[in-house]
This record gives sequence, C-alpha cells and structure tokens, in this order.
Amino acid sequence: MNEHKRHPKSDDNFIAEPVDSPHAHQAETTGVAFSRILKSGWISFKRNPVLSIGATGVMTLTLLVFSGLLMLNFFTAQTVNYFNDKVDITAYFKLDAKEDQILKIQNDLQKLPTVKEVGYVSPDQALAEFKEKHKNNQVILDSLEELGKNPLAASLNVRATERGEFKEIADFLEGHDLRAVIDKINYQENQVYINRIQAISRGLSWWGLLTSLFLIIVAVLVMFNTIRFAIYNQAREIEIMRLVGASNWHIGGPFMMAGVLYGLFASAVTLIIFYPLVYFITRKLVSLDADIAALNLFGYFVSHWYLVLLAILGAGLVLGIGSSLIAIRRHLKV
Amino acid sequence: MITFKKVTKKYKDDFTALDDVSLEIKDGEFVSLVGAAGAGKSTLIKMLIKEEVPSSGQVIIDGMDLADVANREIPFLRRKIGTIFQDFKLLDSKTAFENVAFALEVSGVHEEEIKEDTTQVLAIVGLSDKHRNFPKEMSGGEKQRLAIARALIHRPKIILADEPTGNLDMVNSYEVIKLLWKINEIGTTVILATHNREIVNTIGRRVVTLEQGKLVRDQAEGGKYII
Repeated sequence: MNEHKRHPKSDDNFIAEPVDSPHAHQAETTGVAFSRILKSGWISFKRNPVLSIGATGVMTLTLLVFSGLLMLNFFTAQTVNYFNDKVDITAYFKLDAKEDQILKIQNDLQKLPTVKEVGYVSPDQALAEFKEKHKNNQVILDSLEELGKNPLAASLNVRATERGEFKEIADFLEGHDLRAVIDKINYQENQVYINRIQAISRGLSWWGLLTSLFLIIVAVLVMFNTIRFAIYNQAREIEIMRLVGASNWHIGGPFMMAGVLYGLFASAVTLIIFYPLVYFITRKLVSLDADIAALNLFGYFVSHWYLVLLAILGAGLVLGIGSSLIAIRRHLKV
Repeated sequence: MITFKKVTKKYKDDFTALDDVSLEIKDGEFVSLVGAAGAGKSTLIKMLIKEEVPSSGQVIIDGMDLADVANREIPFLRRKIGTIFQDFKLLDSKTAFENVAFALEVSGVHEEEIKEDTTQVLAIVGLSDKHRNFPKEMSGGEKQRLAIARALIHRPKIILADEPTGNLDMVNSYEVIKLLWKINEIGTTVILATHNREIVNTIGRRVVTLEQGKLVRDQAEGGKYII
C-alpha cells in the first residue's frame, strides 16, 4: 500500500471512485458478493438450529395443506370432467327402426331447451366401436363373423344441459309418437354425482383455504420472529458492518438468504411427503372404484412434476422471502 | 476539505448537542477536538459519516453537502472515512486478520486482494505477528491498532478517532497517537476527539475546543488543552 494509492486526488467527487484509481475496492463483484451472502445466510440458518427447524416445520405444514388443496382441486376437476363426458340418456332403437325415424326423434330432441346435444350412432358406427373395443378378443370377433350380419342397433346419446333435467327428456321420449321404434331408454343421474362432488369439494376447499390462511399467518409470524432474533443476535456485527461501509445488500442479504433457505427446505420436505401421500391415495381409489381409479392421480402428478415443483417451491420462496423482508425492513433499517 | 456551516443539532428532548458550530478543516490537517463529556465531540464526528444529521446547517466534505448523500450512498461515504472508537468495536469471534478482512468482504472485494491488502495494513500498524490472534488475546493498545488497521483498509482520506485512547494506559495511548501521526504524515486528515490533556499538549497541533455544544476556541498549530 503506497501513498498515492491511498489518496485519490482531492478534486474528485468525494464518494465516487476516480476512474483511473488503481484501487478498485468499490467495484463490487456480484459473484463474490453472492457467494458470501449465501454462506452467511447458511451460517445464520445454522446458528439457531431449533428456531430454524421450527420455522421450517411450520412452513412445511403450510405447504402441505397448500398442496392438499392443489390435489383436491385437480381431483374435483377431473371427476367432474369424467361425469360431464358421460352421456346422460341413451335411447336404443329396435333393429328394424328406419334411419329417418331416428333422425326425426333426434331433431325433436334438439328442440328441447333441456337438451345440450344429441349424438346419433348408426348401426355401422356401433359395430365399428364394438369391434374396436373388443379388438383383442378373437372369440367375440369370430362369433361376429359367424353371425354374418350386424347385430347392433342404432342409438341416440343425449346430454342434458347443466341443470340436467334428464327425467323430463326421458318422459319426452316415452311420450313420443315414434316410441314404438325405441327399444329401451337408459339414463344415468350424472349431474347428481357432479353436484354432490362439487358440494363436497367446495366445503373442503373452503376449510382448506381457511386452514391455509391461518397457517400462512402462523408461518410468517414464526419466520419473522426467527429472523428478528437472528438480527438482534448479530447486532454487534451489523453495527460494525455499517461502520466499515458494508452495503445494505451485504447487511440484509444474509437474513433474506435465511428466508430463502427456510423456503427451500420446507419445499423439499413437502415434496418428499407429498408424492408418497398421492401414491397412497391413488392406491386407495383403485380399490374403491375402477372408473375413478382411471383418473390416475399419481400418474398425473408424476408426469406434471414440474408444475408441482413450481407451485410448492414458488409458495415456499414467497413465504420465506416475504417474512424475512418484513423482519429486515422493521429491524434492520436498510 | 471539511466544512461545518452553522451546524446545530437538537435532540427530541430539546437537548442541544451542537449549537451553531462553524468549522473548516483543510486536507492533511491533524485536528484535536477537545471538551468535556457531552460537549458535542461525538456528535460532530458522527455527522461526518452521516450517522447523525444536523437539525440545521450544512456539513460539506470536498464540496459535497452530506444532506445530498442518499441513504444507499452512505456505505460508499463510510468507505472513504476510517473510524476508530474507544471500545474498539472488534468482532471477538474473528482473528485479527479476519477482523480487518471483514471490512473488505462486506464491500465485495476479491479474496486475493483481501489477503494482500490485509497483510499490508497489519504490517503498517505493527501487528503482522499477531494476525492469527483473537482480540481477547491482545492488549488494549494492540486492539486499538487493529481497529486502526481496519479503519485504514479502504485507504480513506479522513480518519476519525473518537476517544481512541480512552481505554488505554499512557504507553499504549502514545503508541496509538504515534500511529495516527504517521498516518497524518502521509497526507490523511486526522480528527481526534479526546479529553486527554497530556496527549493533546504533546501533539501540539490545531486544537478545537467545544463547550456545551458551542465552539469556544480554535487554536492553530501548537494548540494546548485549555478548559
């Protein structure tokens, strides 16, 4: 360290570093700064293991409820879709029914306000679908060949409007002039299932949201206090940092990094719990009902792992950084 | 050049720490700031690093009014001014070397540069052989020299020393003063706040006397401690 190095020309702006100065202390290198902040953030996390584990635990709980909501919403949407795609009423025609008669009924049905759509399946289509469905069963296909002619009847697939007044539609068909060509009328109360699922889901979502909100408040409070404690704990270091000209980023950075670490750890623990849980639930569903099992909850969350990761990690980081920012603003005066 | 223009500092409870103080300090001066406890020495010094702001009046360093220094620029101001305190303000958990290096770390300086500069500055204050010692293993004089090393690490133009010998015996006090002298000789402005009569009289340079917040005496070269 020599004399001219230590004393920049006096006519320079006092704070701004002269460009030709051989002394580059103020040229902060982001990489160096970042790695130091990461390190001191980790030290701050480690210094109070009990507090840190507590903060991470509360945050994990919050994220678990949050991911439970995620799962519930997905499951509800899928189940509703599943029932929505199902046909409400099917009218099977006798084999001798004429196509123009069927189309007349289709036309009449479409005029009803309670009907959403009517699909006509001709005997040929029915046969094609049947063959497709049983393409792996040679015995059935052989016996079809044996038969020589198409044994399948035409049908009309009716889907009711959202309000699902299938009873009215069924009654309409029963009273139709061409009732004679209809073999039988099947109907399923899909809308009732949908309504029931949606009602249950709404209730669960409501409680889930309330619980989430409550847990978010608790998590933010716990983390806020953990970081505040760390700030008080390092009051002397912080005072000296200010004195020697540490930038606000250097003073506040480690505490924000601690918040990031809480978020990261809590997200990791949540994911570790989440996947086995989904797997377990999926297996339960399989044993319950084959149709619902076809939704494959686990498969969906495995193939969309990046969305799950993004949502949980995002929520964790927002919670962690948010609470440390509050603590820094209130107690660090930066 | 440092200029205080009609600086007054009033605290909330109407206590006046500084009362209409005007003062000019040229580059490279060695100024002893004397007065009893509570006379306003520390307040004056804190204003230079913007830890305190005047209630009225201006503090100007090299033509820059400190009122115009934004909060985010304060760290850069503080890197230009070295500060030394009575209680050393060292980190007990860090070695001598680490205490000095810390000032560079928090300014984002590269590792190699930290090593080089810290080694140099420890040599200047005569602590090369103590670089691995912790503050509790050092004498008061050594601790204060270490604090001076840290104050010097950013190569400041100004050194502020607030009662640096307050906790030291005579021998150690003189060592610290000799070091400040040496720093002043190479062109650094030194402002020394003290109420130690012998030291001020030995230094024999400009002496500014404060009494109850008022500047009551400003003696040029060869000043004495008179109260």
